[in-house]
Amino acid sequence: MNDLPLREMEASESYQVRLEVFEGPLDLLLFLIRKKKIDIHNIPIAVITREYLEYLGREEQINLDREAEFVLMAALLIHIKSQLLLPREQPLTEGEDPRRFLVDQLVEFQKIKAACSILKEREEEQLSLWTREVLPPLPEPGEADLVEVSLFDLAETFFVLMKRKEAENFRVFRGKNYSVEEKMKEIIATLEKESVLDFLEYFNRQETLEEAVVSFFSLLELIKARLVMAVQERLFQTIKVWLRRESKARQ
Amino acid sequence: MAPGLKDIIESLIFVSLEPLSLEKIKATLSDHPPEEVEQALQELLQTTVSAERGITIIQSGGGYVFTTRPEFDPWVRRFLKIDRKSKLTSASLETLSIVAYHQPITLSEISALRNVDSSYTIKTLLEKKLVKITGRKKSPGNPLIYRTTERFLAYFGLNSLEELPTEEEIAKILGEDKTVEQATKP
Repeated sequence: MNDLPLREMEASESYQVRLEVFEGPLDLLLFLIRKKKIDIHNIPIAVITREYLEYLGREEQINLDREAEFVLMAALLIHIKSQLLLPREQPLTEGEDPRRFLVDQLVEFQKIKAACSILKEREEEQLSLWTREVLPPLPEPGEADLVEVSLFDLAETFFVLMKRKEAENFRVFRGKNYSVEEKMKEIIATLEKESVLDFLEYFNRQETLEEAVVSFFSLLELIKARLVMAVQERLFQTIKVWLRRESKARQ
Repeated sequence: MAPGLKDIIESLIFVSLEPLSLEKIKATLSDHPPEEVEQALQELLQTTVSAERGITIIQSGGGYVFTTRPEFDPWVRRFLKIDRKSKLTSASLETLSIVAYHQPITLSEISALRNVDSSYTIKTLLEKKLVKITGRKKSPGNPLIYRTTERFLAYFGLNSLEELPTEEEIAKILGEDKTVEQATKP
């Protein structure tokens, strides 16, 4: 217990000097409001605008990718101030305040920030708990590092494939009907026989565009019904479709 | 209570790929009365939590999972050769909590709440599978709708969205901030 690896201890407990970088304009505004101990519901726009612009000048403290958004907020502040100053034809009705929109945004953002700080603690806790990350035994053992693919991976692969096919002058037949239901049965049958299906190869075999599209929908339906599982051995490798083990047992 | 029921449950949790839910345990042990299964699970949790072992069972992501104990994190990382844990950036965390609290939500709604264009951040979150697209909103442009995923829950050790920090917890944090400010006032 006592021989905790020294280096890790030092790394986690050493004091880290890090300049605060403001992610967005609301971040900076909230900081200024807190610094100046301002009531969020009654913001002196002139004061806060001056402070805000001053920070904008110190570029190292804002996220430069977000410069446009910071400037936009400055414009909004000045706009609000001008609305407060300019005489109006009709006086503002009770409860109407040009600052209202900004205040609502800040209040909500403040809540989100607070929630973030709680979640950050939880993240820290969870990151020190380790679980095993494996898939259940698959038909072919030894295929480690399988990643279950998402709808986007599938769709992307499918579109790439269709683009390629398009170039090959994909034939379009009319009159022949394909139903998703039949295709689903066909895919299951193939999987039961061959146990695994190569996503790319399978779609390459499809004769017409229509058939390919129907097949793709069928495959998505099967994945949704958790009857099959689409996995990738490693990133950027071909996608393989397996029958889920539980579903096999059910049949 | 049937002998060994507790140990059976332990073995099920051990082989389960995902956090094993109580429903699944009950379904597997359908030959036992559900109350007994529940009781056995509680007993298992108690003994595991109090046992001086390297691993324990936690409830996370809507089920039970084996994890290492937090105090052994340094050694596990040394073994796995992971020097530093990659944590979410503050932009990601911000976007993620907005999705969590305001879901279903569109990208422009997220960006409006943050006052920052969030398309890049949401893309990273999609890649990390912490958020997912669940459809399109029936409004001009039919924008995509985002929601948090199961992985999001597991990542923060939550079992459901109801376990997200509550209004009271948030108010408490905001209140604490205020007291600090008051204390530092000259």
